[in-house]
Amino acid sequence: MTKLDARSPDGPLHKKWDNRLEEMKLVAPNNKKKHEIIVVGTGLAGGSAAATLGELGYSVKSFCIQDSPRRAHSIAAQGGINATKNYPNDGDSIWRLFYDTIKGGDFRSRESNTYRLAQVSNNIIDQAVAQGVPFAREYGGELANRSFGGAQVSRTFYARGQTGQQLLLGAYQALLRQVDRGKVEIFARREMLDLVKIDGVARGIITRNLVTGEIERHAADAVVLCTGGYGRTYFLSTNAFNSNATAAWRCHKRGAYFANPCYVQIHPTCIPQSGDYQSKLTLMSESLRNDGRVWVPKDKKDIGKPPQDIPESDRDYYLERKYPAFGNLVPRDVASRNAKYVCDEGRGVGATGRAVYLDFRDAIKEQGRDVIEDKYGNLFHMYHKITDEDPYEVPMRIYPAVHYTMGGLWVDYELMSNIPGLFVAGEANFSDHGANRLGASALMQGLADGYFIVPFTVGNFIANYDIKKVSTDHKAFDAAETEVRDQIDKMLSVGKEGSRTVIEIYRDLGKVMYDKVGMSRTEEGLKEAREEIVALREEFWNGVKIPGSSDNYNKMLELAGRVADFLELAELMAIDALEREESCGGHFREEYQSDEGEALRVDDEFSYVAAWEYDEDGDYEVHKEELEFENVELSTRSYK
Amino acid sequence: MADDMMTIHLKVWRQAGPDKQGRFENYTVEKVNPHMSFLEMLDVVNETLIHDGEEPIEFDSDCREGICGTCGFVINGQAHGEERGTTVCQLHMRSFSDGETIVVEPWRARAFPVIKDLVVDRDSFDRIIAAGGYVSVGTGPKPDANSVKIGKDVSDKAFDAAACIGCGACVAACPNASAALFTGAKVSQLAMLPQGKPERGRRARRMVHQMQEEGFGNCSNIGECEAACPKEISIQNIAKMKREYLRAIFTDS
Amino acid sequence: MIPLKRALSSPTGRKFVMSISGIALVLFVIVHLLGNLTLYVPDGGETFNRYAAGFEAMGPFLYVIELGLLAVIVIHMTWGIATALKNRKARPEKYAESVDSKGGPSNLSLASKNMIVTGVALGIFLVVHIWHFRIRKVYVAETTEIDGNEHADLYALVHAAFSDPLWVAFYVGAMLFFGFHLRHGFWSALQSLGAMKPEWSKGIYALGFFVALVLTVGFMGIPLYIYFVG
Repeated sequence: MTKLDARSPDGPLHKKWDNRLEEMKLVAPNNKKKHEIIVVGTGLAGGSAAATLGELGYSVKSFCIQDSPRRAHSIAAQGGINATKNYPNDGDSIWRLFYDTIKGGDFRSRESNTYRLAQVSNNIIDQAVAQGVPFAREYGGELANRSFGGAQVSRTFYARGQTGQQLLLGAYQALLRQVDRGKVEIFARREMLDLVKIDGVARGIITRNLVTGEIERHAADAVVLCTGGYGRTYFLSTNAFNSNATAAWRCHKRGAYFANPCYVQIHPTCIPQSGDYQSKLTLMSESLRNDGRVWVPKDKKDIGKPPQDIPESDRDYYLERKYPAFGNLVPRDVASRNAKYVCDEGRGVGATGRAVYLDFRDAIKEQGRDVIEDKYGNLFHMYHKITDEDPYEVPMRIYPAVHYTMGGLWVDYELMSNIPGLFVAGEANFSDHGANRLGASALMQGLADGYFIVPFTVGNFIANYDIKKVSTDHKAFDAAETEVRDQIDKMLSVGKEGSRTVIEIYRDLGKVMYDKVGMSRTEEGLKEAREEIVALREEFWNGVKIPGSSDNYNKMLELAGRVADFLELAELMAIDALEREESCGGHFREEYQSDEGEALRVDDEFSYVAAWEYDEDGDYEVHKEELEFENVELSTRSYK
Repeated sequence: MADDMMTIHLKVWRQAGPDKQGRFENYTVEKVNPHMSFLEMLDVVNETLIHDGEEPIEFDSDCREGICGTCGFVINGQAHGEERGTTVCQLHMRSFSDGETIVVEPWRARAFPVIKDLVVDRDSFDRIIAAGGYVSVGTGPKPDANSVKIGKDVSDKAFDAAACIGCGACVAACPNASAALFTGAKVSQLAMLPQGKPERGRRARRMVHQMQEEGFGNCSNIGECEAACPKEISIQNIAKMKREYLRAIFTDS
Repeated sequence: MIPLKRALSSPTGRKFVMSISGIALVLFVIVHLLGNLTLYVPDGGETFNRYAAGFEAMGPFLYVIELGLLAVIVIHMTWGIATALKNRKARPEKYAESVDSKGGPSNLSLASKNMIVTGVALGIFLVVHIWHFRIRKVYVAETTEIDGNEHADLYALVHAAFSDPLWVAFYVGAMLFFGFHLRHGFWSALQSLGAMKPEWSKGIYALGFFVALVLTVGFMGIPLYIYFVG
């Protein structure tokens, strides 16, 4: 085990980023175009990074697995994006957003990074508006703000329920502008399958063309990974069908440390699963909990009854009962965990017994249907459309679903991993949210990293390292390509004879993860999970069934490669969760809770980032980055 | 629950590759849960096909909540199926009747060549945006976001146009395979906003010409695109694009 | 600025050409119908012949107008056919199940789908019509006297034609094509020019129907009136 150094700048918190920017070396303008930079992923982080790097003059290659950069999953973010503009004049400041983020992350994030995130948040809004992003506005023409996720100030900017879409399209358009200028080349429908390291430095990637199956080599002076989170390890999640951890995981296998993989955010208000065929879960904004009341029947025998026939006295409004002060507005993790508990008790409702009611009956009675419709009309419509039930008449059924992963590849202050030349931005890195992410902060981080941080730190890296050109004929490329080809061939040869489909094995993995590495974890469960994951991995490599060939479009082959990686990452998640003998944020260990059932942090032992080094045999080695809090005092949450 | 299960007959376009000859194949799917989305139903069909040693029906999809624009094909002669304001991932089997035969084919347009089965290549859309569907500002310090006020009405209208998900249903549904709604939505959104005004002429000119070069057809104001659009974007945006283009013929900006 | 040549071949520009020429033709047709209404006057054709004589009085200026009109027609047809051919090329492989309207805001109808069919039919009709009444009028033998001057009796020509049920059927049929073409064309011309406020859209579409109906009924009535009433 080594101690990791984040290379945070010296100086007072609010001067750190400025200080670093001033120290940075610059690349001469006429040299920039000689430097090739690979950006993998075209979401908020990748799209904005590639656009900005192109704008600066670098020769950028941008890769995405989708058919167009515009499809990246950032597009599905609904709620909004935080910034400390303080337009509503309600006392917001950079410090306050920073503090809320650190505290919301349960004091498991790096002070310097989090502060910088709050610092650049305002630039993002200015940038997006300048690009023509149609944020919500007041009649007077100024930007509208709302309070989000229990924040005490209104700092969230939004564009109806499609904030992610609008911000992503802004970045996408900026990116395509650079394509038009000849600065960026887009490689769509390409999947990164390996990182190529030469002399310990990231120098390129191996990709597969998802249409022709060709394996391609790309060399560069720096690689920026913006490939999102690993929520799909759970199979069912609110993430897109193709979201995956493969690019990050293959980098991990090449030596990049994977930090805090056990930090997963599980969102309480999702539309529950309706059957075994389910392919994904749909999130509904948690603003619903402002007016909806969460309950289940007190008695198991009532679970089959129509909810409107269950009298008040037979309903258990368990959040209001257990948390009288916050009631239905407890944080995401508390709400999620308690839904799991009541379902585990057999009091869950709906076809699968894995759902609780979110009831608007009283709100409609008190405020009138019109008011509720005005606030939540689009969400009610969405719910109605998906479930065929009218939430104005019968309570919604909700259940938690994996939504975001705070863990990711370890990066230093400059968002560079422990592999020189490999940068990681957005959800793919671990850096800013600690053990739990605040609502409306994911978009902020993606764009902060992509527009305002990576473009400078990549330049600093290029200016400081003496980077010699490499050819894709280098033997490191040969070796990486051979490994990639071997894996595909192996999958297809097993796949010919196998008996269980990729999806079947994948579903099993998801079930293990939800049951044992989900909202509530125990030592015993995690150990079992680890064994079960290893067994599934063996089953995969001995008996998976994969159709078709590798020389054309083959969705199942793509998925098989991703599932193979999830099957490894899942084990590391269990290991990390097992090692972290405390409860914090999205990581709840049942052994570590207060008498009131609250998460119990163990600050003197676990106030560190666990960055794992890959080991083929599963003996992952942990490297620790101690978290030093010089500016905030650690406190404990209480929602009683 | 079990009583509600449906039987569906599918007639699906199968095409092994871009230059291969395609054909329709028939499948019968039993025990279809009415709460499944159309894509989940295809997932189930595919699982069976894989077990039987056959190649699954390939289709594109990603977010499966109707916002990424990846999915889409023509169901019974209608882009994204019969329901309005929806994508195929949000189209549920309960909107079909038990025993129904459903014809499924890919978007068909010269500018959207078939890659495999129901998967098509929509790069042409990216090239249309690259031709001018942006505001030419670099990253960097910008005036405060509230320094330019935009009235709520204009902002809302711009948003309505900006809601486009780029799925291609407009092209698929258009009898002429025109991309006017897609192009018009972006031209119109940016022309309405003060940030987009300085380069409105160049934008209209370049985007319209790019649309032509990609081999899309010409708009004849039928409006089927608006009916097929999952985001119900109005063809008034096409009229706006025409005004922008007309303006660009005579002015420099 | 966009060079005019480039503009006119662009998807948007070519529709401007179609729209402007189309609107010009609609205006012509309205004037044409107003003139033809004189055929309904039961005076043995005197009003009509008087009206027709007015054209002769224009001398060579009539030829200028006629050539101008012909040019508009030729432009409208050329651009229309070229556009339709391009549209056809935009979808080389047709749907097995033809596009079925989703309803709602869609104007997909027999009229809107078949503009090229009705357009070509009208083109053929025009050739016949011009031969039938414009070319043949030069060789009309019968004369009639208006204000002491000798004039060709065009009414007799019209009357003779519309006494033949085949000609009546031909003209009535052609006017159906005309109606369908105008039903979509009128609204489409304004939409292509972007010449409407969104709020007017529905109204203009309805107006298109009204204009098509009035013009069609007006023209269709003439052969029927002459055939049945005399």
